[in-house]
Amino acid sequence: MEFPNHHRQIVEDLMAGKFVLPQERTYQVLKEHEHSYTYFFKASFNYELRLTQDYAYLVSEESQEMLSRDICIFIALLSYELDRDGKNFLERIQFSEFEMEEIENYFINSSYIDLILSNKQLKDTDSRKNFINTLNRRNVIEKTGDNRFVFTSAAKFFMDFASDIVKYENAEKEE
Amino acid sequence: MKAEPKTILRFLLEHYDAIADLYETQSNEGVIAHETLSQIVKKHDSDIKSQLIDYKILSPVNENYEIRTVYYNLIEFILSEFKPMLPETIEKYHTSIAELFRKIRENINGDKVTLSQRLNDLAIEVRSFYEMVERNTMSLLQETRELKANVKKIDYREKIVRASRWIDEYIIPLNKILDINHSASVANKLYEISEYSNKYRLNFDDENARVQFEKLYFQLIQVNDNLLKQSKILTNELLPLIERIRTESIILTGWITFLKNPYKRKVPKLLKRKEVSIYSNDTFFNASEIFEQFKNEVDVYFEEEENDSEKWIFDKQHYTQKLKDNLPVDNFFSWCNKTLKDEYKKVEIEKFFALTQLAFDDDIEREYHEKAQFDKIKIDNLTLTVPKLIINKQHGIS
Repeated sequence: MEFPNHHRQIVEDLMAGKFVLPQERTYQVLKEHEHSYTYFFKASFNYELRLTQDYAYLVSEESQEMLSRDICIFIALLSYELDRDGKNFLERIQFSEFEMEEIENYFINSSYIDLILSNKQLKDTDSRKNFINTLNRRNVIEKTGDNRFVFTSAAKFFMDFASDIVKYENAEKEE
Repeated sequence: MKAEPKTILRFLLEHYDAIADLYETQSNEGVIAHETLSQIVKKHDSDIKSQLIDYKILSPVNENYEIRTVYYNLIEFILSEFKPMLPETIEKYHTSIAELFRKIRENINGDKVTLSQRLNDLAIEVRSFYEMVERNTMSLLQETRELKANVKKIDYREKIVRASRWIDEYIIPLNKILDINHSASVANKLYEISEYSNKYRLNFDDENARVQFEKLYFQLIQVNDNLLKQSKILTNELLPLIERIRTESIILTGWITFLKNPYKRKVPKLLKRKEVSIYSNDTFFNASEIFEQFKNEVDVYFEEEENDSEKWIFDKQHYTQKLKDNLPVDNFFSWCNKTLKDEYKKVEIEKFFALTQLAFDDDIEREYHEKAQFDKIKIDNLTLTVPKLIINKQHGIS
């Protein structure tokens, strides 16, 4: 039986909960064999493959909810603080590099400090550094240096979630 | 009495501040109330109410006042404070321009004076149309930039509503008006007139009309170029900008809603990392992820349970000896109760049962009454019914 190129890499990355990004060669293979891989992951593991123009990832009922929630809190806080600082948060998250010092300033001086302090992964500088490494492993960000990183297109996954909150609430109001 | 033009202009100059206040009132409230007019006049310390009416700057509307359109437009133009107009207002030019053009075409060989007048009117309409489009684009751009900078500190939800309304009610319809490829657009009509003028500016028997066609033709070339610019501003600058405001506001509103109660809302599903065998390429990362989780240990404090008294331990040797000393015992359970009562003021069920263990010791020989006899013993809140059990000296503990 023949598998497409980079099959092992694709399976390993997706099974590790990584977002596979369009600039990766594995993404191109996934796109070319979307139908087969959708079937493969469903039949083998009962996972759903989601392939968008910004990322590919696997969905299962068995979710790592705590990490997902912490990522949402992290991006929500950063977006809020950037906006409060008069920055175009969406442009910054999509196109610019962040330094850990900047992140630290926003988090230390945030009006959501109680929420930050109560969150195990975000409560202090060391936790946040580790959290950034976790995001890096999941391909939500890409580290560009020891203390610098950029968000990848996988950030869209979480931005869409935020949009859905408003859409869902509006739909509820209309009902 | 008709005032001299210079007198009116001088009046406007002298009392500009008061007139600007009146303009602002009308812009905000639609009309100038009688009392407001008096207040403004008083504020500027100039009794100009009668002149404002005599010079036809203000006109009475019921008991209120309005700045006449010509002066209103003049001040609006000077201040560059245009409010975006609904495209329906601009769309009316389609009718007036198309109608004039139809009449020109149908009566091209008719009365030359009327033709000249119509060509003149058409040129005025085209100019007015363009000016209105330009004003609208600029005012929309200005308002959008203000919305982007959030000068008025408006709520995110209101931002979404405003951005959506501008897109749906102003920008998209205005873009349609300017879309030259759309057969019903004003721009398309102007293009048609431009081609017609081009033909007649070169080939028409009346020289005066030829000159007018030529003027119209060059005016239309200019207008079409400018409309194209406006259209580009709309599609390349304004629409993306306002779309971005809308998207940003939606996302930020979503995040703010989420942050209100971040632990109660459902979050997107992220795949749980699968356990991998030790020889996997990812072993290092998996191990480090696990270790990182322990790096940030939270201090956990356990409160020790407070013991009111030391834990009681059953001293079997002590009680066996005691039983031996008391033999014969004709009621074992009663003896247990009495012994504990002597030692502790209060008998606890735990101690009582511990002591009754002696009765089941292999070294102890028990005797029963021929007819079963029972006794009642009260411990704590319990009343126990127990058999009368005899432990004799001769057959008891050795």
